[in-house]
Amino acid sequence: MKNWIHVFSVIDFISAGILLTAVAMNALRRLESCVKAYSLNSWLLSLLVAMTALVVGETHLYIASLVTFLSKGVIIPVFLRRIVKQMKVTHEVEPYISNAMSLTISGILVAIVYGSLKQGIFVTGFSRNVLQISIAVIFIGLFIMITRKKAITQVIGLLFMENGLFLAGFSLTYGMPTLIELGVLFDMLMGVIILGIFAIQIKRVFASADLDKLTTLKG
Amino acid sequence: MLPVLIIPLTTALACYALRRTRWTGYAGLAGAVSLTVFSIPAVVSSISSPMEGMGGMLYMDALSAYMMSLVVFLSLASAVYSIGYLEHEQKAGLIDRKGVGRYFALLNLFVFTMLLVTVANNLALMWIAIEATTIVSALLIGLGVTKRELAIEAAWKYIILCTVGITFALLGIFITYYASTAVIGTLGALNWTVLKSIASQLNPATMKLAFIFVLVGYGTKAGLAPVHNWLPDAHSQAPSPISALLSGILLNTAFYGIMRFVSIVQPSTGEMFTGSLLIIFGLVSIGISSIFILVQDNYKRLLAYSSIEHMGIISLGFGIGGPAGMYGALLHILNHALSKPLMFFASGRIQARYGTTRIEKVNGVLSSMPLLGILTFIGALSLSGAPPFNIFISEFTILMAAVDRGLWFVIGTFLFFAVMVFYGILSGFGRMLFGADQKAPHPWGQGVSGSSGENKTESGFWTICSNAVMIVMAMLIVVLGLTIPDFIDSTIRASIQALGVK
Repeated sequence: MKNWIHVFSVIDFISAGILLTAVAMNALRRLESCVKAYSLNSWLLSLLVAMTALVVGETHLYIASLVTFLSKGVIIPVFLRRIVKQMKVTHEVEPYISNAMSLTISGILVAIVYGSLKQGIFVTGFSRNVLQISIAVIFIGLFIMITRKKAITQVIGLLFMENGLFLAGFSLTYGMPTLIELGVLFDMLMGVIILGIFAIQIKRVFASADLDKLTTLKG
Repeated sequence: MLPVLIIPLTTALACYALRRTRWTGYAGLAGAVSLTVFSIPAVVSSISSPMEGMGGMLYMDALSAYMMSLVVFLSLASAVYSIGYLEHEQKAGLIDRKGVGRYFALLNLFVFTMLLVTVANNLALMWIAIEATTIVSALLIGLGVTKRELAIEAAWKYIILCTVGITFALLGIFITYYASTAVIGTLGALNWTVLKSIASQLNPATMKLAFIFVLVGYGTKAGLAPVHNWLPDAHSQAPSPISALLSGILLNTAFYGIMRFVSIVQPSTGEMFTGSLLIIFGLVSIGISSIFILVQDNYKRLLAYSSIEHMGIISLGFGIGGPAGMYGALLHILNHALSKPLMFFASGRIQARYGTTRIEKVNGVLSSMPLLGILTFIGALSLSGAPPFNIFISEFTILMAAVDRGLWFVIGTFLFFAVMVFYGILSGFGRMLFGADQKAPHPWGQGVSGSSGENKTESGFWTICSNAVMIVMAMLIVVLGLTIPDFIDSTIRASIQALGVK
């Protein structure tokens, strides 16, 4: 009865959506849209986990899906939006390189990941796409972190990396034991909150939300 | 084992609850003392026979005990030092009373997370604990951030770089989980104890990939070059007692993660693979840091780069492997955990007296503060690797291990950089220690450029408690340079066995 998941390659579609929301980060100009892209990405991630749970039928996956949705899909986006509002920054992302360039580079990243994981050493029950997409999302997140000026965009890049990581974990082993999963999520939540606090401090002390100002410590 | 984890947590809560009163420092001290008392039986009993706790989530063998005793010792030392240090900061208006309460609460949380790293039996639990150390210590670095803008920059860099790095380590752990579930299914597939018993059956290709991710991830946290950029900033901007903890033990807890990981990767991939990677990372760290040590004009940053160098040496010793190399590496962890905190404690005093961290602005520490000067001198000699101090002994052990293996290129490179470091550290601290103290009143009456430093005078209480801590550490440095006591020797040997080396 769960054939429809296979018949319509639901898992492939969802993971393609995850990749697309990550790639879209390259073209988005407003911080609010970046936060939206992230929440969409997290919702898709938790949907994917839920679908996997339907296929495999393990309770701990349902829990993981719910927890992912609540933490990454609700709490973190709400928190990020509040910070964006509180910082009263200009709402532009201000990348170091042009959008076209940045889209091209992420396209190349995806191609490299697909190329190098082709005859991979990993054999899982999943469609192979999922693992490749997850690694690609990790790299796109990293790429976004190093090419954007705003403190908040760095945090969002980091969050994309972590979403990619979770996806990789699921595609490899159907996720970790629940307790561990919760611990990792808790750490992440704390990390994001503290980064948010520091971002506000940066804004207050340097009178700018750009990381360009953080260049005093060298050598 | 459980009381050891519970005490710092309750102390943290108590300090936070008492943050409006003057008693937080003493609560922190009481917590550190009781932690020391309660940790002794756990440490002693687990050296001879490993123990488990919390349904297999926690595990303690000789290596855990070794690391744990270092964490406990340094947390006690920095609790004692912190009381005076914060009193001084409070007088200087750098922190308020609530800030002190927050500081001690965070300090104890920090100690808790590091203790959790040492006793975690589960790969992922250890990852969680290591990530938690980043989060808590970033707060400690950025404490009182509104007054020191550089500290925000340092804390931001620190948390971003380390979190990215450690994300890769988690990927490595996922891959390990994948490899081990293929052998035994999901039950206990992430536990050291289980993984060690099936280590030789794991798929070598998968484990190689996992090891690279974990080495890069935890290596970032352990301050191995070329992913060390956060370290000099964080260590130089943190309050001195925190720098001491970061440098003395936090780096080592991250490296402890690598050590444990090596012990489960090696049986399937062979010693060559892990060993050569560790040697390369080690040599690159030693090389890069030695150059920065030579040109450094800030003494706290100089000490931070010296930490990178010593982490490189530990990695080198561990990579050379065999009982001798590991013995050297583990001994080096202990020696570095004594010398570096001593220097950071001393630099906190120097910074308070001279109001600067620039080497050329500090002169004649030996004549203005003779006792502190002598202690700093001992620490600097030890750090630079001069005989007959402790670090010389462990570096020599590592070199002997390399000679046994015939790694002549490694030996040559290491010696070359060691000479550079020797010169860099001694010339830097030599300039600070010797010469006339410009702040001291001139022999014939009038003060020379000393008036600006008047508000920086030290409080007597801080002098007493920091001197006490530093004298104990300096004595240990001297003793360990002359002889290695039996109980340390046997603990290190038991730790090597715990890592599965014959």
